[in-house]
Formats: sequence, C-alpha cells, structure tokens
Amino acid sequence: MIQNKLLFNQSSVSLEIIGLPDYSNNENKDQISIISQWKLTIVDKPLIEGKIEHLGPIMNAFYIYSNLLIKNEVPIYESKLIDIKADNLYIHNIVLKSSKPNVKPLNIKIGNTSLSDTINCFDQLNESSKVSIKKSVESNYIPKKVRFVLNNKVKFFDFIMPPFIAIFSLILFSSSFIYFYNPLKDKEKNELINPE
Amino acid sequence: MRKSFVKNKIRPKEFDALIKITVEMSKYLYPYIREILKSKEDIKENSIIWNDFNKRFIELIKERFNVDSMRVQKLLNQAENDEIIIKSLLTLSFCISNQGFQKLKKFLYDF
Repeated sequence: MIQNKLLFNQSSVSLEIIGLPDYSNNENKDQISIISQWKLTIVDKPLIEGKIEHLGPIMNAFYIYSNLLIKNEVPIYESKLIDIKADNLYIHNIVLKSSKPNVKPLNIKIGNTSLSDTINCFDQLNESSKVSIKKSVESNYIPKKVRFVLNNKVKFFDFIMPPFIAIFSLILFSSSFIYFYNPLKDKEKNELINPE
Repeated sequence: MRKSFVKNKIRPKEFDALIKITVEMSKYLYPYIREILKSKEDIKENSIIWNDFNKRFIELIKERFNVDSMRVQKLLNQAENDEIIIKSLLTLSFCISNQGFQKLKKFLYDF
C-alpha cells in the first residue's frame, strides 16, 4: 500500500510525516491518521527520525523548553528520550537518546533561528487538518499567574474618589476662612451700631 | 514606561487587538526577525545587522519611552539589553502560526 507523505517547511527546517489514512473512519485518501514514520531535517545537522511514539515527547520537549526560555526560568529539559539545555543565549544543546541498546546519544547544537523554525514546523503539524495527532502539552498549557490585571469594569474606587476629593477640598478651602473672621471685632462693631 | 502624563488602563478588547496586530506583523516580518537572531548567533560575520537593529531600538526607546525610569534605562544599556531583545524576538518568532494570537496572549499573561 502506498503511504502518504506530508511535508511542513519553515526556512531551515522541514518535517516529513509518513503514514496512512484510517479507512475504518471513512477518511480521505490524502489524510494521515496512522503515522508510521517522521523525519525532522535541520540544515547542516544530522537527520532526526523516529516512530510515532517518539514524535509526541519530542514535540512536547521543544514546546516546554521554548516556554522556559522565554519565561526567564532555567532553560533545561530532561527526559528519557531527549535533553535540551541552553549553552548560552544563542546556542541550544540537544541530546537525543536512542531506545536501542549500544547506540550512542546524538548531540546537536542549534541556534535560536533553527529553534524557532522547528517550533513553527511543529505548529504547522498541529494545525494541519490532514494529520490527526494527539494535542501537545503546550496547547493545553494554562498560565498559573496573571501579574497584570486588565481594566474590565469601572472600579468602585475610581467611581467614588472624584466626588470624595471634591467635597474634601471644599471643606478644606472653606475652613481656611475661619482665620479671617474675628468674633470679638464683630461684637464691637455691633455695639457701635446699637449703643444700647 | 511610556512618555506620557496620562495613565490609561488598557481594556481587554484593546489588549486583544494589540496582540492581533503584533502577531500579524511578526508573521509578515518573520524573515527579518530571523535574520536579526541569526546575526547574533555568528556576530563576527553579521555584526552589522545586529548593531543596526540595536541602534534603531535604542533610538525608538529614547523617542517614545520615559528615559528617567530605571526599567527603561535597563533597555537602553547596550551591555544589558541583549537578553531582553533576543527573548522578545524569540517570543515573536514563536507566535507566527494561526494559533499565534492565543500563544502570545499566554506568553504575555505569564510574563
């Protein structure tokens, strides 16, 4: 049976997905639901390929690592299959561990550009309607903290403050007139007008 | 941080609109963003691109931001601003897909 091939490209990176449609679900001929093989090609780097069970963890590793990188946390991701850590601000060190015995781990150093190209290839795969793949961790990721609050409603404090300041300043202003009023002088004046 | 005497709080709709504009612009500018990031990777060969970008970035910050603020001064310091610029460019480059809007929103909420 001829297998379907789908290619996702982004500048220096390309991701090839090989597989078959699930005919039991009445899928189209060009659909891929049963992935048999995938190949990730980064220009000037060794080819990365594997089975379907490796694709999910590798995609998750890249997504989690890119999140850590941006969020100013320690950018290190370690698992049984793949380790990614930052050498410096521009170079990322990837160690791919083979599931087969006596196979040495593969070391690849990629730059920020290759990292963003790879993430974009994975995004294309996630968004493709032609490939059915389990959603990655990243897409289900919900932020834990919200540091800045948006102005959704008119706040009670903002509503009450202007009239409060207005009344307070009126009281303060009028109370200053107390210094200009001398009740003793006023009494003398009244006595002069009405000598009785 | 902005050079303004009025403190306007951003509304959710305005916030979403700004994110949409940013994502669309980063889709369009992705090749340029990529080149700037690449120039920093091999600075000996492509130092001109990075230096030009950094110079223009500082010019725009001076023009539009409150330079007296400590946070803005950090952006202007050429020795310190590398990390901020690279992370900002990386964030933009990760958000060029169709789901870029949701991604950038998540990144910003978590910032």
